[in-house]
Amino acid sequence: MILDPISVALKYGFLAVLYIFLLWVSRSAMKDLRRGGQGQSWTPGGGSPVGDEGTSIHAAAGGNAAALDRLDPRLVVERAPGHTPGMEYEVGPGAILGRGDQAEIRLEDPFASSRHARLTRQGGVVILEDLGSTNGTYLNEELVGGPQPLHPGDRVRIGDSEFTYLDAVD
Amino acid sequence: MSARTRELFALIPAALLLSAGFAAIFLSRGDLLGGLHGTNQVSDVSLTYGGIFLGVCVGAHLVLRVALPDADPYLFPLVALLASFGLVEIYRIDADLARQQATWFVIGVGAMAATIVILRDHGRLERYRYTIALAGIGLLLLPRLFTPTNGAYLAIQVGSISIQPAEFAKIAIVVFLASYLRDTRQVLVLGARRVLGVTIPPLKHFGPLLLVWGTAMLLLFFIRDIGSSVMFFGGFLAMVYIATDRLSFVVIGLLLFIGGADLVAGHIGHIADRVEAWHHPFLESNFRPSNGVGGSYQLAQGLFAQADGGIFGKGFGGAVLELPKGQCGPTAQLCTLLPAPHTDFIYAVIVNELGLIGACGLLCVYLLVCQRGFKIAMLARDSFSKLLAAGLTTVFALQVFVIVGGVTKVIPLTGVTLPFVSYGGSSVLANFVLLALLLLVSNRARREA
Repeated sequence: MILDPISVALKYGFLAVLYIFLLWVSRSAMKDLRRGGQGQSWTPGGGSPVGDEGTSIHAAAGGNAAALDRLDPRLVVERAPGHTPGMEYEVGPGAILGRGDQAEIRLEDPFASSRHARLTRQGGVVILEDLGSTNGTYLNEELVGGPQPLHPGDRVRIGDSEFTYLDAVD
Repeated sequence: MSARTRELFALIPAALLLSAGFAAIFLSRGDLLGGLHGTNQVSDVSLTYGGIFLGVCVGAHLVLRVALPDADPYLFPLVALLASFGLVEIYRIDADLARQQATWFVIGVGAMAATIVILRDHGRLERYRYTIALAGIGLLLLPRLFTPTNGAYLAIQVGSISIQPAEFAKIAIVVFLASYLRDTRQVLVLGARRVLGVTIPPLKHFGPLLLVWGTAMLLLFFIRDIGSSVMFFGGFLAMVYIATDRLSFVVIGLLLFIGGADLVAGHIGHIADRVEAWHHPFLESNFRPSNGVGGSYQLAQGLFAQADGGIFGKGFGGAVLELPKGQCGPTAQLCTLLPAPHTDFIYAVIVNELGLIGACGLLCVYLLVCQRGFKIAMLARDSFSKLLAAGLTTVFALQVFVIVGGVTKVIPLTGVTLPFVSYGGSSVLANFVLLALLLLVSNRARREA
């Protein structure tokens, strides 16, 4: 019974430590809420803006069916021989990438085959497919085997030519 | 202060809580350690336990520091805090169980480190999505080969260890859903037709989804584990909603669930019992101490225990779990005031000993874990990571809701574990793997942000 005060003190100490810890952790959550409107990253060191990143999954999917009609899937040149970085190619109903004349997106790249890869639209999804090229097509630095759906921000590389895939109206 | 240094500092409160908790329990058992003269010993032993706990956590922290330098800094300390809650309360209930739980905690931390080091990139999971889905369904099927406990086929016995495969299956199913929805979410929205103002998803693309998930749900009804099926269902709906932004899919799903639940509640005996116990826990015909399963004895005693805790609780070691022999009926079961205090009803014991304040604190820890999880999903750049983080967090949150809701009589009681707190090896192990996946997503998301 004499020990009771220590026991009680320990209990309140336990609760106090618990709540101080909770306050500390939730402080960063509160910061998030306050900064939410400005679209600031919460990372103390790397304060790069994330903006609407929070809900951005639908910027790609299209929030509603009407918005989807306005989407124009396109490839943006990152670096490619014979192209200016930043140039955009619209995918349209589909496009062939290659060195040959009938390719919609001409690659002046020694590593590219004449018909190298194909982009096709299936519904709202653009599918990337290698057409049996010699040197392969890379999606996010992974060799493309079968047809692959593209997601906004995906990087498509053929030889020394690299593109970023985008499909939202920004 | 870098993210990892924050993490290191945040681990200290967890170790302090563990030491304080153990010290309080040793004091309440003062006679075991030589009464008043044991005070020094008490502080030594409890600080040693706190030190060992801190050592294990710092070990895991070092692995994170090397492997995932940019991962969320608060997630692991929050989990360590939950684990310290669990270890203290389980020790207070049964020292042997606490020893096993501590072993599982160390194994769980090891599994987390192993998952992080071996997997390195969660994107690799996508390649094996059908294998993972099959493995998840296989895991759910496994317990059916063994004998049921409390009317549900939950656990399998391997030697002296009891394994609950559903805990691991939940991760497998979430990984599959995230990977599959990533590829088809656009088709699901675009191919949808509108019938009577309700958007119906195209069956061709929805089919495989329904197949895997429907099989999981059927199996859960088959193994009669309703708690887990609520988790699976809720996780599935949340992920479909996040992937498609279509509220109508969620509404359809909820209607189907209500229909299904009504059907099941009427036809499977022990579930009807649970619902009856939930409606009238204090009715004499339901309140049968001799029959722990099916009656409302456990639920009603849990409610009494929580009310008895008051605002600040009875203090560690203050909860009365068993009546001394001779004061109760002839059978041992009548002496047990609160059945299953270390698993299903650990929440009630915590409320009794730490009161409303402590319970709110515990729930706040869970809330913050979920906040970190959804934050990770928001920061993640690619759809798979977003869906994976959101799905895992939802399942985790629903698990807490199912058991805390059950114990507090918000929903019918079903036995799932309170993550990281309840006694149970599979639960601790599976939840540490879940944590490892969240940290992996977080590392990539915050590095790129």
